[in-house]
Amino acid sequence: MAVGTEALAGEISYADIDRDVLKTLETPGRVYWAGVAFLFALIALAAAAWTRQIYVGLGVTGLRQPAMWAVYITNFVFWVGIAHSGTLISAILFLFRVRWRTAVYRSAEAMTLFAVATAGLFPIIHLGRSWYFYWLLPYPNERWLQPNFRSPLVWDAFAVGTYATVSAIFLYFGMVPDVAAARDKTAAGIRRTLYSILGLGWRGTDEQWRHYSMAYLLLAGLATPLVISVHSVVSWDFAMAQLPGWHSTIFAPYFVAGAIFSGVAMVITIMIPMRRMLGLEKLVTLWHFDNLAKVVLFTSIIMSYSYATESFTVWYAGDPYELVTFHQRYFGPMAPFFWMMIFCNCLVPLLLFSPRVRTNLKLLWVITIFVNIGMWLERFVIIAGSLATNFMPNTWAFFRISLTEFLITIGSFAWFLFLFTLFCRVIPIVSMTELKEGATWLRKALRAPYSKAA
Amino acid sequence: MSDPRSQIDVIGAFGQEHECVHAIEQMKAAGIDSIRAFAPIPCEHILSALGHKKSPVRMAVLLGGIAGVTSGYALAIILSLNWPHIVGGKPVVSIPPFTIIGFELMILFGAISSLLSFLFFGRLPNLQEFAGYSQRFSSDQFGLVVRCDPEDAARVERLMRSTGAQEVKRETA
Repeated sequence: MAVGTEALAGEISYADIDRDVLKTLETPGRVYWAGVAFLFALIALAAAAWTRQIYVGLGVTGLRQPAMWAVYITNFVFWVGIAHSGTLISAILFLFRVRWRTAVYRSAEAMTLFAVATAGLFPIIHLGRSWYFYWLLPYPNERWLQPNFRSPLVWDAFAVGTYATVSAIFLYFGMVPDVAAARDKTAAGIRRTLYSILGLGWRGTDEQWRHYSMAYLLLAGLATPLVISVHSVVSWDFAMAQLPGWHSTIFAPYFVAGAIFSGVAMVITIMIPMRRMLGLEKLVTLWHFDNLAKVVLFTSIIMSYSYATESFTVWYAGDPYELVTFHQRYFGPMAPFFWMMIFCNCLVPLLLFSPRVRTNLKLLWVITIFVNIGMWLERFVIIAGSLATNFMPNTWAFFRISLTEFLITIGSFAWFLFLFTLFCRVIPIVSMTELKEGATWLRKALRAPYSKAA
Repeated sequence: MSDPRSQIDVIGAFGQEHECVHAIEQMKAAGIDSIRAFAPIPCEHILSALGHKKSPVRMAVLLGGIAGVTSGYALAIILSLNWPHIVGGKPVVSIPPFTIIGFELMILFGAISSLLSFLFFGRLPNLQEFAGYSQRFSSDQFGLVVRCDPEDAARVERLMRSTGAQEVKRETA
């Protein structure tokens, strides 16, 4: 199929792709900087709340016996989950040669890295003495104690640490040819110097491509089992504990599906406004959103099935403590959160069965926000709700969110968006190389039923 | 072959991948071997036309993965023996949970070795300019640079033009 310089009518040439993508790197306007300043203000507020927590102690949070894990760990699991979409889209869909990934994978990968960077803060924030966080690493302390390698928390340190490193390598790998192309098109200055350094002197020779393609393929192959292992390990933080509501073998697959569900929803939530802000309507099309929405729908159905299975096994096993935990989830103090979660995760996404809804970006955006809220609540219900009713009824107590935790949670969203907003003005947020490679496939995206204006 | 100092680079720019592949095949058939291709996208056809073998990055990643899984188990086993503390009635050396450490380090070391071996074999960072490179080769054109003796240059130029090169020029190597 003819692509390249001689684009046919209705097709996109390589030069079009370069022009549209590099346009996103131009100096942004006042609205952009106002947005950045607003996000920064929210981060400053969260930093103030954390500073106070360090100064006064964990008593400023709502953490009380028995619920010593609540909002912070919910945030940790939520953000690690968000991170999963990037590797799903960039690695798993790459191995399956899914064409629609090309326009969205760079932003999904960037989201992965920033979501892990956000998640990584929470175990540290959650520690009363944050400066001892390195005790989880295989680094002997002054009494020559080593970490307990049978503990899921240590597995978690390895899994999330590996995930952060591999995501960063993967993101950087994909960027090299694009940054080199941006370098060639940028006038001398700080930006050009930055692109020259990041581009490593890449020239796209046959030798370079030979090693690049192989390394990228293998990296995708390594990242695929990694993405599944990371959220499984995160789920074992709970499932390995002897606690009603946590100790369940379904947790690993259930958490992985949930992570993909929330992660892809977050990609849509961010891509819809970003596409408009950066003028990428021609490259990120309704075809891409339609396919992303199908992934959300599919994983939503897996989630509904998992919720049903979880409840069924508890009812069938008949353990009184498990029954109490689930009873309070349906009818007790956790019920508003639980039923809101069911509404957001199981019912609202069913609208995506309609192709009209999947290609209506306003509606799609609202649905994905519901999914994000629902997935946050799911983790909150599992973590704080289960801890409230343990094996000692005399200790039962329900958790209340404090202002400190609220501000830090809002701050984590601001921190994530802040990193992403800065990134998308410095590095091409859509992969030029891969879009060129799949340029003929973009024709499909410009045909009916995707041809109508968004 | 004449004095390398008198050699010539013939540079052809192609708008289409298949024309570039065709030109390489024609030149290979004509016994011209010193060809370097530039492409804005990864292109298997160009690599196979040039007769490239599979990249040795594969072996480096395999070795990295093996080193990772070995060191993951070694780390967990040696450090547990170093502080033989029994938790929850489990053996000091518990292989199933240590498999998670081994697995994660296998992926980590494999990924790091894919990056390092790519840099090593691809000779990056590269500070030198490649002869015949042009900015359009990172954008929308495919480039071929053939280093040859001056007497062969006309033949190479003809081959490039006949296979669809949009522009052909010569530079002294």
